Amino acid sequence: MNSNHDPVIKTENLTKVYDTGFRGEQVSALKNLNLEVYPSEIFGYLGPNGSGKTTTIKLLLGLIFPTSGSIQIMGTTDIYSAYVKKNIGYLPEGSYYPDFLRGEEILRFYGQLYGLTGKELYKRIDEVLELVNMTHARRRMLKGYSKGMRQRIGLAQALISNPQILILDEPTTGLDPIARKDIRDILSRLRDEGKTLLISSHELLEVEMISNRVGILYEGILRVSGTLEELLTSKDRIVEFANAKNGVVQEIKDKGGEVVDQVNDKVYLKVRNDEELYNAIELGKSVGLQLIKITPRRETLEELFVNVIDLAKKERSS
Amino acid sequence: MKSLLDSIKGPWFIAVYTWREGLRRKTLVGFLILSLLVIFGATFMTSFINQATVGDVSTDMDLKLIKDICVTTISIFGILITIFISASVVPTEVENRVIYTVLSKPVRRFQYLFGKFLGVQLIIIMNLCLMGGLFFIALYIKQQILPTLLLWSVFLTYFEFLIVSALTFAIACASSSSVLPTIAGLFIYITGSLTEYLKDVYNRSGQTGEWLDSIIGYIAYILWNVLPNLQRFSLKTQIINSQPNDPPTDVLIPQLVLYGLIYAVCGYILAYWIFRKREV
Repeated sequence: MNSNHDPVIKTENLTKVYDTGFRGEQVSALKNLNLEVYPSEIFGYLGPNGSGKTTTIKLLLGLIFPTSGSIQIMGTTDIYSAYVKKNIGYLPEGSYYPDFLRGEEILRFYGQLYGLTGKELYKRIDEVLELVNMTHARRRMLKGYSKGMRQRIGLAQALISNPQILILDEPTTGLDPIARKDIRDILSRLRDEGKTLLISSHELLEVEMISNRVGILYEGILRVSGTLEELLTSKDRIVEFANAKNGVVQEIKDKGGEVVDQVNDKVYLKVRNDEELYNAIELGKSVGLQLIKITPRRETLEELFVNVIDLAKKERSS
Repeated sequence: MKSLLDSIKGPWFIAVYTWREGLRRKTLVGFLILSLLVIFGATFMTSFINQATVGDVSTDMDLKLIKDICVTTISIFGILITIFISASVVPTEVENRVIYTVLSKPVRRFQYLFGKFLGVQLIIIMNLCLMGGLFFIALYIKQQILPTLLLWSVFLTYFEFLIVSALTFAIACASSSSVLPTIAGLFIYITGSLTEYLKDVYNRSGQTGEWLDSIIGYIAYILWNVLPNLQRFSLKTQIINSQPNDPPTDVLIPQLVLYGLIYAVCGYILAYWIFRKREV
């Protein structure tokens, strides 16, 4: 239905306005969103609380209805069709599963909703339990599950129909580091198997570790979108010097150098362009430092996120 | 044929899930246990009275007491369970977000609603069977006659509950909490049981010639026509006063079944009409 280069999820001028009161008050949750998610990639969908991430996901799943604009999933605008629904797995944020059911019963119920039955259903349950490393707990009641185990069962229910697209809302929030790593590893494996993942998250470090592309949403507007290489490339470089003695850092600062770190006898200076680089080398020589190396410095996703939000706030206030 | 079966399978799985979940609701189980205790207790209590009295008159009173207590218990606890479960199944799923994972699967909204409604009916039928079954056994032990009239009564009571359930369910589909639909369900049941009085109000209106009197008369007339008349389903008087194996009299069972089904279908259509564009 669509080629490998066509986006599997595409929105055009997608807008959502909520009526919030009897007096006809309205809130724009999403403004002209143009989003594209490509096959076999992990797209990190970022934004602070109330920025419109969950609204976007609910629109993609047909849980709420757009005010204007269009949604195309796997080449079709009929997002309610069985074809589309069978190819989307969804893990909501903080999802609830009844305590009285066993892990495999939850999966059986959701599998049945996809029309899976008999041997095919049980084979698939075995596969997803294996994938999320929950085979050992399949017959245990959910009330005996830890938060990490519940999240893994949630992921298993999203995968039960072997969908092409996975939409995950805050998949690692509230989990301990080991559980986070487990989930992260599973998501990377799924991407490598050719699945497309849209991950909404606050966990910037997690997203940076596994995403191919990211989009940052703020106040319902997609502020930036692109690959991590495109967005996080920086002309900043770090100049590393050795032989730093007491008081040398202050001396460098007094002469206009930007010291970003000092470890034992090593001092690290940040420069933004070639002119600053030459000046830093001269400055180092003048205070008796020995040049070790010059390395390009990549901006972190957190820095990009903060910069984008700050810029948006400034634009709004001006 | 295959696609029809497929479209029924989804609601059936949701119905079974709803039924299993309903069995774990503490309030519902509490009502059921209480009602069974009352029915059991009534039998025990009247056996005790019977030992202290002599003669046919007291035995007759004893039976009437059992029947009165048990029929009233089935009505009261049955309707409480019906309203409670019908008012809460959809709002609870919206609140705990289970609905997100279900509606994101290949399940249409009408299928989801049908499944939930079917699950509610399974719970109501199970409760009626348990309460009616215990009453049936108690009556049979007392009289050594199969109380077939009781079976007809339980059967008609189900259709009475079906109407209240469908209308409460429709209101619950518009609500984000179960409080409002529960109150609405109680209102429907109470007014539905008093529709004969509405007819009286209409008949007596207009006698004073005042405009307010006429308006109240018209409102009563409209409510009398729109609201279901739940009294029609009651065989209580006959159960108390007749032999247990007498056939039901003064009721047209097929018409009552049809009457109940029409209200239930209207309730479900209303529920779907509300829910089809609801943002969850």
